[in-house]
Amino acid sequence: MPETESDQHGAQTPRWAKVIDQTLCIGCHACTTACKSENLVPLSVTRTYVKHVDVGEFPQARRAHQVTRCNQCADAPCVTACPTAAMYKRRDGIVDFAKSVCIGCKACMAACPYDAIFINPEDHSAEKCNFCAHRIDMGLEPACVVVCPVEAILVGDLADPDAKVTQIVNREPVNVRRPEKDTQPKLFYKGAHQATLDPLAARRPQGGLFMWSEQKTGAEAVVSGHPEYGNTSAAALLSYDVPHAIPWDWRVSLYTWTKGIAAGAYLVPLLLVVSGLLKIDGALWLWVAPVVSGAFLAATGGLLIWDLEHPERFYMIFTRPQWKSWLVKGAVIITAYALVLALHLLASALGNLTLHRALMFAGAPLAALTAIYTAYLFAQAKARDLWQNPLLPPHLLVQALLVGAAALAPVAFALEPVSLAPLLWILGATSLLHLLLVWGEVTLAHPTAHARLAVREMTRGRYVAYFWAGLGLTLLGAFAPLLGLAAVPLALTGLLLYEHAYVQAGQSVPLA
Amino acid sequence: MRLDELNKRVSVARRETEARGETFYPGPSRIHLAAFPPKERWDDWVELDSRAWPKRVERRYMLVPTTCFNCESACGLLAYVDRESLQVQKFEGNPEHPGSRGRNCAKGPATLNQITDPDRILYPLKRAGKRGAGEWVRVSWDEALDDIAARIRKAIVERRHNEIMYHVGRPGEDGFTERILAAWGVDGHNSHTNVCSSSSRAGYQYWMGLDRPSPDHANADVVFLISSHLEAGHYFNPHAQRVMEAKARGAKLIVFDTRLSNTATHADFWIAPYPGSEPAIVLSIANYLIENKLYNREFVRRWWNWEEYMAVERPETETTFENFERALKELYGGYTFEYAAQESGVEARVIEEIARVVSQAGTKFSSHNWRSASAGNSGGWQVTRTLFMLNALLGAIATEGGVFPNAWNKFVPKPIHTPPHPQTWNELTWPREYPLAMNELSFLLPHFLKEGRGRVDVYFTRVYNPVWTNPDGFSWVEALTDEKLFGCYVALTPTWNETAYFADYILPMGHGSERHDIHSYETHDAQWLGFRQPVLRAARERLGEKLDDTRAVNPGEVWEENEFWLELSWRIDADGTLGIRQYVESRERPGERLGVDEYYGYIFEHSVPGLPERAARENLTPLEFMRRYGAFEVRKKVGAIYEEVVPEEELEDTRADRFGRVYTRTAKPPTTNIVPIPTIDPDADGRRFVGVQDGAQVRRGFPTPSGRLEFYSRTLADWGWHEHSLPTYIKSHVHPDNLDEGQTVLISTFRLPVQIHTRSANAKWLDEIAHTNPLWIHTRHAARLGLQTGDLVRVETEIGYFVVKAWVTEGIRPGIVACSHHMGRWKLKDAAGQRQLMATVNLSHEGDEWGLQRERGVAPYASSDADTLRIWWTDVGVHQNLTFPVHPDPVSGMHCWHQAVRVRAADAADKYGDISVDTQKAHEVYQKWLSRTRPADAFSPDSTRRPYWLLRPLKPAREFYRLPDERELLSVE
Repeated sequence: MPETESDQHGAQTPRWAKVIDQTLCIGCHACTTACKSENLVPLSVTRTYVKHVDVGEFPQARRAHQVTRCNQCADAPCVTACPTAAMYKRRDGIVDFAKSVCIGCKACMAACPYDAIFINPEDHSAEKCNFCAHRIDMGLEPACVVVCPVEAILVGDLADPDAKVTQIVNREPVNVRRPEKDTQPKLFYKGAHQATLDPLAARRPQGGLFMWSEQKTGAEAVVSGHPEYGNTSAAALLSYDVPHAIPWDWRVSLYTWTKGIAAGAYLVPLLLVVSGLLKIDGALWLWVAPVVSGAFLAATGGLLIWDLEHPERFYMIFTRPQWKSWLVKGAVIITAYALVLALHLLASALGNLTLHRALMFAGAPLAALTAIYTAYLFAQAKARDLWQNPLLPPHLLVQALLVGAAALAPVAFALEPVSLAPLLWILGATSLLHLLLVWGEVTLAHPTAHARLAVREMTRGRYVAYFWAGLGLTLLGAFAPLLGLAAVPLALTGLLLYEHAYVQAGQSVPLA
Repeated sequence: MRLDELNKRVSVARRETEARGETFYPGPSRIHLAAFPPKERWDDWVELDSRAWPKRVERRYMLVPTTCFNCESACGLLAYVDRESLQVQKFEGNPEHPGSRGRNCAKGPATLNQITDPDRILYPLKRAGKRGAGEWVRVSWDEALDDIAARIRKAIVERRHNEIMYHVGRPGEDGFTERILAAWGVDGHNSHTNVCSSSSRAGYQYWMGLDRPSPDHANADVVFLISSHLEAGHYFNPHAQRVMEAKARGAKLIVFDTRLSNTATHADFWIAPYPGSEPAIVLSIANYLIENKLYNREFVRRWWNWEEYMAVERPETETTFENFERALKELYGGYTFEYAAQESGVEARVIEEIARVVSQAGTKFSSHNWRSASAGNSGGWQVTRTLFMLNALLGAIATEGGVFPNAWNKFVPKPIHTPPHPQTWNELTWPREYPLAMNELSFLLPHFLKEGRGRVDVYFTRVYNPVWTNPDGFSWVEALTDEKLFGCYVALTPTWNETAYFADYILPMGHGSERHDIHSYETHDAQWLGFRQPVLRAARERLGEKLDDTRAVNPGEVWEENEFWLELSWRIDADGTLGIRQYVESRERPGERLGVDEYYGYIFEHSVPGLPERAARENLTPLEFMRRYGAFEVRKKVGAIYEEVVPEEELEDTRADRFGRVYTRTAKPPTTNIVPIPTIDPDADGRRFVGVQDGAQVRRGFPTPSGRLEFYSRTLADWGWHEHSLPTYIKSHVHPDNLDEGQTVLISTFRLPVQIHTRSANAKWLDEIAHTNPLWIHTRHAARLGLQTGDLVRVETEIGYFVVKAWVTEGIRPGIVACSHHMGRWKLKDAAGQRQLMATVNLSHEGDEWGLQRERGVAPYASSDADTLRIWWTDVGVHQNLTFPVHPDPVSGMHCWHQAVRVRAADAADKYGDISVDTQKAHEVYQKWLSRTRPADAFSPDSTRRPYWLLRPLKPAREFYRLPDERELLSVE
């Protein structure tokens, strides 16, 4: 007997999808306020909004609207990045969230290629469109679907061939936003304009204005639209968008630096000890390395917790770990590394060199991983093309060695002057290596328009001062063997400035 | 309880709902999910809390319908009243509403912001210091009512009826307050209509007697909009949904708009004409239809008043249809595409293409203009008149997909008391210079008062903010601060506004969910009645409480107008000696004041056909039914009333005149639909006009003097405007011929989809989306002036200037500039006000020189709503209307909004938001425009003030239409 159409779906779990029909949307913003009302979304953030782009040149012009929101990705980067599974995918495909277990690390925001997630200023937890899951579970359509004057928003089960959504998705030309991000969105646009789908297609108006609103500016604001030109040959001007924000502020920039010192201040003397350039029983190795590393590791942990919107919930990383999250993996690495450092101190206290030698086998890879894992954490921020860089792991290792050597040099000068020279040589060499890697990074062709704009913001845009001051100081650091200790503060500051430019520029590109 | 059990229990998905025998409201997705909870559960609806999610926390609500009051569309809302707190949690659409069909625009849900607005006025206030000084004391309602009532009583007793004036913006109701004024016997109605839609109305009225179109967009093949109905206007959401329905079906959409609107975006043909040239283009399309015989000849022959035209205007030619057709060709032959192109700047081939599309529409041609070009230009009433001519040529009138006269798609039920027409004529609102004005010359009031034409002893404003909304606001400030001109000013308003600062009393009135009103609007071919109600009152009544005063449920001491007017009228005439009391007295309990339950109960019981039966089916009284569902569809598919054959029993002793107008001795059959219809004069023997002869039959025809569609307006010809007696093109006051060197046109009337005039500044969700109004200027124009987006621009009008930021765009005709009128709200320093969208300003003047300087924009502030600390915008735009002089159209009386301006980069000393105006110059401009009128004294053909058949709010008794004998002759140019 032939399989009937209804057999195919039967009573199985639905696969919810939405269609936004931009051929019907009149840009009225009813969905925006209905959502604010249904979900009590505060001012300054939105779960959904309507973006407008004016396309064309008079008299052939139009305004393209786009209802913009979470895409309910089948492969949701936010879910992968969330350390506590506060963002999770339901069996029916809805990407939902549990605010009570959100620690506010903003990894989901960094990961989301669509800038669809925000921290609610009321409860400090991550939030986004969840298809009005509470309504769907009651048998009601989402609030935006119901309010829409022109029935441009539809919800349906992709397994149901009778649903309008299924028919449109399967039989009409539809698009998703940024398919290259490989997330398989379940929000399909019918008739959306490329100038709205591509966040960089339209030019950002100057003058801090949109056609009837202000652009929100400030250190953590990202104004949508391309600041220089539109990534389309058609004239396209962003005429309305909502405020967007950078998820990770200066604390994360600083964290990459402290963590580099924490890793490098152990790794550099370890390499010197192994290569015979440093005594295993000297104060530098016995005490200074673990103390400096430990102190900066503690600072790193402190910064990470400080950066959480819910610092009191940081323990949830350990009590309900979501193992795909590099925040979780990183926390384990750091913890293990901290344990090694503690044992190192214990061994020093006991004068047990055998234990020291044994610990090196654990300490070396853990210190290296401490330096490197951030590359994976950043890469998990799928939205940020600048950070999707295969050279980032070795680069982070180089940076760790650089700041590690620099941090130890003054102590070495005081306690074991003989080791100063090798440290300065390491500082000089890693500074050069760092510059080489940065040079490669900014001068090679960029894989995407997004990465190109990030580099532009870093080298010529918002972060130009940090970047060039950072590089200049690092360049002086490269002369450490000549400059001696004077190079130390230059190199340390240089890298800190660079880290800030890099971390912020990576997030400065509009996504929506 | 297990989760799936809970899910099953709360689920209203189709299968579960239908299994319980409840109503399943399908949504747009057409799947098993409902759009709304079943109405059977509206008393106790269990919903999962969105904020507690994914924890399943149940909340219980009562669902109570009301009507949105944010624009004129009057869409249905459904308030979710929390059963525990008895507060409104949210507003959704009302699926039982035939106009809005459960859907809303952004402003519907934002009603919640308005009722919880931390800056709203909660108690009656009385002025403490000088007028306008911003000092207020809280007073009791009793004190305010007694004081105002005594004043009104005194004026009435002293025969100063014309010193009482009620000035309303959007009424949001059908006739309640007019009847209150009629009960007082005053001609005191003043509306906003002449700054809004008068010219649109006039053009429609001269064709069909009725002043509004009811386009059946949903069924049209061609939709022709000279407006932006996909984002604003009458009736935004109801019409937008139907226009897009037609478009999805394959209908073609033609949009005329000089700037790129969201509506223009969806157009198959968007053209951006030079402002004011619209009728030239439309007439070139008409000419194409005429020239190529593509019009509906049979319809024109049967329904146009061509015989009257030929007989009166071409007596030398035989009155045959063929001769008329020849005349028609000759009349419009000059309107070539090339001429239209030259006037409008639009390419001739584009116009021709549109003409071809129009010609193929047949009777499925829905056209619509409201405000827009008709409101912008002098002679703007020819915009609607020429546009409707296309319908009249195609026969697309009251057809499926055509345009209906609004009164056929509207139901205004007869109330419990009907006071007589006032025995007075108020020249302050209906001056003799404007015998054909569609509505009151409201915006000229300060000038009339300054000229000594009268004074106003008690002045009420409601949903109206003339200082801000009207042109020439400083002249209003001058008049309002003069206690000799305004004796007592009472502002009825839910929220602070620029005019209320100059009030003597501020009386807080409820928002859309805090008041009673009924209304019926022509959203499509049907008749429906909507009910606005205080939802908390209705909710508590469902719980068994009995309430007879809406103040009991409203926040603070906020009231509603219905009860206020009833009570005020009662106090004016407590003993009944003035004859007023009888119109506000209960019939059920004589000697007591009428309450709203009885008032509406009577209407729903006696005046709405089918409603009592429908209610009985649910074991409800008609009032209970309306409190439960909020709307009732009286009639679907009304169809072509003009084609209706008049039944024999209405045709007693009839006479037909030479043009086929039929008069009868039969009295008008009783009806409970009292929708305003023109009053056509009886024949010489007093027979009533009943219809027009069509072969052997008498058909209803149109409510015009000729009974037909008036291609030719005898009224205009007879009242001094012979040259405009046909649909023609009048060159606008901003036509290039009328501009000085270096002047350009400012379009100042465009609306934004999320704001509504002066009424939505208290909605934070809307303010967050739209909060400023930069000057739209085309890229090339801006380059010429050296301007970039964000740069300061000085815009100089005839009487002053304003300083605004530039928005450089491709979305406007090069050379024309535009500035949305929603923005630029302000409050005085140290004065109370709305803090989410009002700049703090310094108001200064020296003699006639007025200035407004912006001290600061908005900023976060602490209030009962934590959100006000998150206000991130600072800019609230610029109040451009202050710099506009009055431009009353000499025929329609409409303020012609477009401004001839000079635009240039601001001076170094100019600051954003600066405004400077000379009110003496403003008065001179007023005089210049006044001199263009043709006053009744000189032009009335019958010594009356106004053609009696024309619609007029609160029509005085007929004898007061006569001009007084001892004429006070006014200078006529």
